[in-house]
Amino acid sequence: MSLEEKLQMGPKPGLAYPLQVIYCGNCTMPIEYCEYYPEYDKCKQWLERNLPDEFEKVKIGDEANESGGGEEEKKRQKRGGKGMIKTKKKEDGPKQVCVSRAPRGKKKSVTVVTGLSSFDIDLKVAAKFFGTRFACGSSVTGDDEIVIQGDVKDDLFDVIPEKWPEIDEDLIEDLGDQKR
Amino acid sequence: MFKKFDERESISGVLQLKSSVQKGIRSKLVDSYPHLEGFIDNILPKKDALRIVKCHDHIEIIVNSVGELLFFRHREGQWMPTLRLFHKYPFFLPMQQVDKGAIRFVLSGANIMCPGLTSPGAKMTEVPKDTVVAIMAEGKQHALAIGKTTLSTEDIAKINKGIGVENCHYLNDGLWQMKPVK
Repeated sequence: MSLEEKLQMGPKPGLAYPLQVIYCGNCTMPIEYCEYYPEYDKCKQWLERNLPDEFEKVKIGDEANESGGGEEEKKRQKRGGKGMIKTKKKEDGPKQVCVSRAPRGKKKSVTVVTGLSSFDIDLKVAAKFFGTRFACGSSVTGDDEIVIQGDVKDDLFDVIPEKWPEIDEDLIEDLGDQKR
Repeated sequence: MFKKFDERESISGVLQLKSSVQKGIRSKLVDSYPHLEGFIDNILPKKDALRIVKCHDHIEIIVNSVGELLFFRHREGQWMPTLRLFHKYPFFLPMQQVDKGAIRFVLSGANIMCPGLTSPGAKMTEVPKDTVVAIMAEGKQHALAIGKTTLSTEDIAKINKGIGVENCHYLNDGLWQMKPVK
């Protein structure tokens, strides 16, 4: 495609919009911009794992660059300060869901679920789901906490892996009874 | 604009838009981006309930019912598309191409300087001052930033010094990182 054509405005014939652009899973940018990301190596790893075809293309391009531009690289003065700032990665802490039971009044109890957000689950949706599933009240009460009214702790061990397959039953921990 | 933007701190509220206001925005968008006309129904379906996310520093973002971020603006300025939207419909903004050396600076949020637009690797399409443009890069297929010209292209070529395009939104800035709004 010639340059003039590339910058031309207006929809191009023969293309179906919306276009699908492939984004890198590591740096979230279109993969052609990965090389400008500070953690390019990780992007490459991601590409290799997820999109082997694209990875081949990038590799070929890289080799071509290296053979020609090695010398130039040394001469050029490095400018631009810090370069691009890395995106803050979510802390990959222990991924775990904790469930516990807390008393409510004399003979009733509620179930407290924490840790769902470490699996990138929308808490609001999860709370709604628990509510309909157990026919009870359920609400998001904290940063990463859902309270389900009624004692449904034992059921949760089946329900959570069923709804979100990425959570294994072993990743759910039972904290037992808690004081309010 | 979005360099220090954080979706957790910078959002002050989400508003449901009245349908009359929605209509106004639609017609304004078609006015300012004529090439969008055939596609506006795909981007902003007529029946869709649009919402507006109000952020600090007088920034507003249009969000559709699914939560995708579509357009943003600063104060009463022109609506500008987000890069994710523009990647899907990459034809409705005039495009300016910068040379290879400028890419890393643009990606860290720098404004686009005139020499980066006039060097051999670069290419400009003619626009007046204060136009919303997409910044493309030499040898790359997709846009890497959305900006607003501070000089007309004629002046950029003539003066060839200082800021030519103000960088409003670039890859991996706060707006790009923002997740769909629920």
